[in-house]
Amino acid sequence: MSDLINKVAELLKAPASLVQRSAEARAAASGSSVDDVLNSWLGGENITTSTPKEEAPVEEVVETVEEVKEEAPVEEVVETVEEVKEEAPVEEVVETVEELVKIKEERALTFVLSVIFVGLFTYFFGFLTTGNQATALVEESLNNTVEISNEAYIGAQIYSELNCQSCHTQNVRALIPDTQNGKVLRNKYASEAVLNNIGNIRLGPDLSTNATREPTNNKQWLTRYLNDATSVNREIPHPKYNFLNEQDMNYLVTYLLSLGEINE
Amino acid sequence: MKLKIIPKSEQDLSKFFLLIFPISLTLSLSIQFLRDAYFSFSNLLPNNQIFNYGFLDKLYNQTMFGLTISISLMLIFSYLFSKSIGRLLTFFPLIFLTSIGIVSIEFLDVILNFVPNVKSNSLGNSTALIILKIAALSGLFLFASINLLAKKEAVIFHSAQFIFGGLLYYLISLLIVNKNQVVFSDVLLTNTFYTSTHIYVTLSLIFLAIIHFLMTKTFNSILFSRTLASISFWGFLFLVPWSTAKFYYGSVLPNWLENVSIYLSFSILIPLLAFVVNYLKTIATRDSENSNEVLLKLVNFATFIFIFTNLLNIVSGFENLLPILGLTNFVNLISQGYLASMFFAIIALSYYLIPKLFGREVTFKPLDNFAISGLKIGYILLLLNNLFIGINSGYIWNAGANTGNPTIYGEGFNLAWSLIGINYSLSTFISLILFISSTFFFLSLLKAITSGNVTKVEEMVASNE
Repeated sequence: MSDLINKVAELLKAPASLVQRSAEARAAASGSSVDDVLNSWLGGENITTSTPKEEAPVEEVVETVEEVKEEAPVEEVVETVEEVKEEAPVEEVVETVEELVKIKEERALTFVLSVIFVGLFTYFFGFLTTGNQATALVEESLNNTVEISNEAYIGAQIYSELNCQSCHTQNVRALIPDTQNGKVLRNKYASEAVLNNIGNIRLGPDLSTNATREPTNNKQWLTRYLNDATSVNREIPHPKYNFLNEQDMNYLVTYLLSLGEINE
Repeated sequence: MKLKIIPKSEQDLSKFFLLIFPISLTLSLSIQFLRDAYFSFSNLLPNNQIFNYGFLDKLYNQTMFGLTISISLMLIFSYLFSKSIGRLLTFFPLIFLTSIGIVSIEFLDVILNFVPNVKSNSLGNSTALIILKIAALSGLFLFASINLLAKKEAVIFHSAQFIFGGLLYYLISLLIVNKNQVVFSDVLLTNTFYTSTHIYVTLSLIFLAIIHFLMTKTFNSILFSRTLASISFWGFLFLVPWSTAKFYYGSVLPNWLENVSIYLSFSILIPLLAFVVNYLKTIATRDSENSNEVLLKLVNFATFIFIFTNLLNIVSGFENLLPILGLTNFVNLISQGYLASMFFAIIALSYYLIPKLFGREVTFKPLDNFAISGLKIGYILLLLNNLFIGINSGYIWNAGANTGNPTIYGEGFNLAWSLIGINYSLSTFISLILFISSTFFFLSLLKAITSGNVTKVEEMVASNE
């Protein structure tokens, strides 16, 4: 029995003597043996649900308790305390029960705080700190801003609204497959409209150096391609943007023709 | 079918979310079909401000990753959370308001796409509503915390833990997307952590919450090990948020982040194995005679997709594969895999809940079976197709790099397209299968709710009345 008491004491982080007194009081109240009470506590089972006949492997008992729809452990414990009143010193049992309830509250609190801690760790350490590192690197470098004309800026907004970045990246990686796409981008400061267009997935070609390559450095070709891609290449599907008015199309083309300079 | 305008309990609220989930799923899949059609056949279709690939892709992100995920999370929160902690929810009226509020804001975000001059980013969040979303979700998270603390129970059922984690990471993903972007790497960081927290972690935790509930309740099984369930929970919570940075390998993200991402991706094997062992051992103890075989197959299928997706996430951490897989459809494949596993878990939960919430039996006649089979076939094809496109386009981007004149566009890309073009066309037909099947799923639920046989329990209640 002393082994059981020690295990329960360790589980509940309570003194062994307190656990023993509490178990004896509970056994007297419920008519079961002290060992049964200790076993039920070891399995995390609700105190009042333990009966000598319902012995089962620990996990099974725990599962049964979980499936009870309307659990009210605290109230049940208090009821038990009332039942015990005549058979055990009241103050002692109440003290024990209060301590057990306190331990349980602390565990729920620990769980909630632990989950929040992991979430905040990911947000602050993974996301914010890394972002601050990148910004600090840019501040240290020279020539760290992107200059862009007003027309190209409006074109960048149209590019973003049309969601061109869902198929085209402007992200040259420091990897061999990307060597034909131009230079690796620096961590420059840039306006939101320009930054929005970097993209995640490369279904079509990377456009970082669009303005420095043939035939996309040609304004007329680019305009024709955007209005009806099949007029210049039948094999590759590209959405038609013939619903844009002439001015918006000009802004968009101006932006695309500035991409070699922006992404140096 | 009884539906209350103002729900009085968690079960009433669950009924509402259970009904709107298939509608949202069907809406998302119809937009996916249109989007794919406008990718492959844009020349044959009329183009305008709304009907073009770019707009439809943004709309798809909002309906699928905003609206549908929020409805899924609210459905399992309203039903499973109170079940798991074993008591009625404290502050239920406020929980009702915030959960409805979150879904309404996501819906409004979709609608705002059609309003001129309201801009949303490519991740599907408009600047006008993001603060409201964060406020509503913070409120719900606070109420969930209070309910967990009010439980005063040392051990809570695992579904509640997973749901609680899912809520937190949904909130964190919104905080991430709300941060100002000032330098190039900020965009990559936002995309990285938004994808991992909003899609990978939240969907994994929703899936695990449902499976831990179904595998014990539906099949009368006994959870094999609480310790293994805890390892799964903490493992996915801590490791998965870091697993997406590897896809930007070679970009301007800090090197330490890319390396950490690679190593932690490999570590996902630990919680995954813990889950697999727990699942198999638990299911083995089921009551075979009284188990619903259709639900068992659905749960098994969802689990298979989940394991497959996680294995792809782990395998893609190899340094030799990253230049090939990064920035390709392979990244979409993993998101789609997590989505599919969650959908099949929710579909199983829906069929399980109809008798419980509406008192009607699901008989699994041809309509139901057609919907389930269609969705299964559709998602298997979708995942395999994206796997093929992802790997091949990655290889060809490599080959393309050494082909032709670097000052001339298109030579590498032409090579890529000749290999994967047919698969993009195939995507349209796969999306059509998914759209039709999800419509049948919606009809199947409606039919069961409105004209299904009354359950025995319900009959007993009626006779007593």
